[in-house]
Amino acid sequence: MAEIVNNGLAISVQGLHKSYGDFEAVRGIDFEVRTGEVFGLLGPNGAGKTTTVEILEGLRQATSGKVSVLGLDPTVQTSELKDRIGVCLQATNLPEKLTVAEALSLFAAFYSRTVNGDDLLKRLQLWEKRNSGYGTLSGGQKQRLALAMAMINDPQLVFLDEPSTGLDPQARLEIHKLIEELKAEKRTILMTTHYIEEAERLCDRVAIVDEGRIIAIGSPREIQQRTLGHSRIEIVVERPLASATPPSSIGAEKVAWSEDRTTLIVSSAHPARAVVELVKWIDQQGVELADIHLKRPTLEDVFIELTGKSLRE
Amino acid sequence: MKAYLALINITLKLAMRERSVLFFNYLFPLIFFFAFGQFMGAKAGGTLTRVISMVLVIGVLGSGLFGAGMRTVAEREANILRRYKVTPISPLPILVANIVSGWVLYIPAVLLILGLSHFIYGMPWPANTISLLLLVSVGICTFRALGLIIASVANSMAESNILIQLLYMPMLFISGATIPISLMPSYMQAAAQFLPASYLNSGIQRILLRGESITTTLGPVGALLACMVLATFISYKLFRWEKEQKIASNAKLWVAGVLLPFVLMGSYQAYSKEHVNESKLLDRQIRRANPRLIRGGRIFTGDGTVIDKASILTKNGRIERIIPGTPPDPDDIGAELIEASGKTVLPGFIDLHVHIGAPGALLEKPAEYDAEKVAEHALAAQLYAGVTAVRPAGMLDASLLAASARVNRGEKLGAEVLLNESAAAAAQIPSAASMGEAFQRALAKLVPDGRSPLMPALALRETLDEIRTGTARSLNSTLAEQVVAPAALSATRNALAKPPDFLQPYFHIPMSVQEARTALAQALVKNEALALGTGSGAFAVLHGSAVHQELHLWVKAGATPAQALRAATFEAARAAGVDMRMGLIAPGMQANILIVDGNVLQDITVSERISDVLFLGEHISRQDLFEQK
Repeated sequence: MAEIVNNGLAISVQGLHKSYGDFEAVRGIDFEVRTGEVFGLLGPNGAGKTTTVEILEGLRQATSGKVSVLGLDPTVQTSELKDRIGVCLQATNLPEKLTVAEALSLFAAFYSRTVNGDDLLKRLQLWEKRNSGYGTLSGGQKQRLALAMAMINDPQLVFLDEPSTGLDPQARLEIHKLIEELKAEKRTILMTTHYIEEAERLCDRVAIVDEGRIIAIGSPREIQQRTLGHSRIEIVVERPLASATPPSSIGAEKVAWSEDRTTLIVSSAHPARAVVELVKWIDQQGVELADIHLKRPTLEDVFIELTGKSLRE
Repeated sequence: MKAYLALINITLKLAMRERSVLFFNYLFPLIFFFAFGQFMGAKAGGTLTRVISMVLVIGVLGSGLFGAGMRTVAEREANILRRYKVTPISPLPILVANIVSGWVLYIPAVLLILGLSHFIYGMPWPANTISLLLLVSVGICTFRALGLIIASVANSMAESNILIQLLYMPMLFISGATIPISLMPSYMQAAAQFLPASYLNSGIQRILLRGESITTTLGPVGALLACMVLATFISYKLFRWEKEQKIASNAKLWVAGVLLPFVLMGSYQAYSKEHVNESKLLDRQIRRANPRLIRGGRIFTGDGTVIDKASILTKNGRIERIIPGTPPDPDDIGAELIEASGKTVLPGFIDLHVHIGAPGALLEKPAEYDAEKVAEHALAAQLYAGVTAVRPAGMLDASLLAASARVNRGEKLGAEVLLNESAAAAAQIPSAASMGEAFQRALAKLVPDGRSPLMPALALRETLDEIRTGTARSLNSTLAEQVVAPAALSATRNALAKPPDFLQPYFHIPMSVQEARTALAQALVKNEALALGTGSGAFAVLHGSAVHQELHLWVKAGATPAQALRAATFEAARAAGVDMRMGLIAPGMQANILIVDGNVLQDITVSERISDVLFLGEHISRQDLFEQK
């Protein structure tokens, strides 16, 4: 613990590689997670997120690279590490007839240190369901139980692998609220997701992973600003503009017309200024402005820009 | 420890909620127990043992291979095991909890079956219940571990099913649990020795039938334990938490690997045959234990008493009751019915003077004389003719002792050889003693010494007379034709009519039948003790038929049939010092019983019209006696 407190790092990964036969799932990953922060690994399926997380959890061995989790080496001090982390796996199940309370007390028996299960159930709004079989729970309830099980050993570090995948929007919101609570308790969280909004909403810092590499890292805002992601301005006019090109003074990077030449799409690093210039210019052309949209770049845009592909395929 | 207990606790709770577990653990054995109990006749004590061992073995196989094996694969396939993977526990608590919970769930089923056997079928409570529970516990834990190793090497439900069936089917059908070992061809018997279930089955039967403790089967128990430890250890090493983790197909060889203790066991048994013989003995013991009702015969008890129209119930190899009047319905008591109305029921004969190593008739190939084979055939022939015990005359060398022991243990069917200390001491003497010498020595014993009853050996003496006069009457009986092959019988007749050189010593034996007849007549008048011995095995004194010839000669010499029969049963047992257990039809006596067709008390020749022979309670299939494997 002392070591972690000293350098403030919960996780440190350097030059991580993992191959399965000829296939290289992770091709050199470096990142650090600070104590108390929520760190997100964002990327499409098959990017190497889960492999990376499982190496950190001590479930898999790295091919090469240096990994330290809570100051421990996951491959050597595996059970010590597992005793101190909480894990919410992506696809797990419990026996249909196991009740919520039983599941929690069973898993409590595996750890050297545990918190009161009843409190946890109340907090996760599972108290009324404590005697219900796992098979009767809804998707959201199952996920809350998974979260409770991840919290039973009062972990300093929690791994959440795709915590809201497959949930309906309501259940997803509940999970997000719970994760924010964990964050408020100053627990360190490493989560993977392919939901942009989730990463934007919950993560202090994000690493964008693609094909086994980190292609961008930083707070969501930093990433948006650092990359080429520009705001997009859409202007719709009442009748087509013949052959006019906006003046370079608007500072647009890219300008494109729709086929009927009634919609102009401009991307710009300085959207506020560009909008003023564009409105002025259209007015000069003697055309009525019908509509105007300003869209800030999302992580998704960043991702598309960086990788040339969409997150959700 | 906390993790082990929590997992065991939860596994048990979940099992109790699972209808299929309850069905397979409790209902299924019950259905089996009653179905097979009814079908096979479990009211009979011996068969009940078979039903119990069968139901228990099937239960152990099911719980182990299907319960433990399938469940683990199913939990892996359903992504349940995966959740345990991120906790600090190793696979060991999961494996141990699986084995232990299977054991906890199965023991009540064992007690249930035993209780039902006791209360419904009247089985006495096993003397060694603890041993039985221990053995079944070792069995269940071993088979659970085998189920786990299958789960460890199977990549899918379908694969595990194939592997389970590969183990289940042979263990169900050729372990002796369902089909008795003694009914199988010898190659199948040999194959059965490689199966853990065979030893479990015979172990259960030994404890139930003989009240033995588990310590008598330490070898197989050790092999089971070794198998369990190996299987658990390898399952631990090969444990997979996730269905995505596949295992190389050659890993399936590990299943054979953990069965190594039984590969060794089977190989050793192929050489020693101990366990096959043991299994056959258990089968025999079960047959002997089953009750039989000999209904409505005239009973000559042996000591001279005659009970008209009574029935005899035999059980566990002994005479249970003599029932005057109307006997119970045999179906109600699960007994085999032997109808004896119009017949006479006697104790099995005891011949006090038998050369078990001598064939009596001429051998077809004298050069191939094999003492053990000759003795086994002689004892089978005696039993065929209703002689259930013989006292050997002369020396028994090692091979004759071996043959006697085999028959006395029940591995081969034949008359019991009454071995006393002198016979055992004679075993020290090498087999070099010539037939002639042995014969001379045996003759010396014929002279009564005052303490022993008179044993006139008329059959032997008449044969001597026949040799001297060149006649061959004594061989002309139906029984003689049944116990000796036709070619050997006619060669013996020819030799009797025209004695070859090797019979020359017989001409000089200074004994005649007339002299013995006179001695017998005098003894009868003085009411002296008399016992029957024939000298069968000597040339032309045929094993089996000689007793009947002797009885006939006694009656011709002035004895009543009852006097002659008493000498062949009650008195012979007394003379041999075995009257505490045979020679008399009375409760508690060994169920050695001869049933003849007609009233032998009026006509002694009726003794040859043998209808049934019971030996230690087993209803002997007489025509099969000479074809024993």
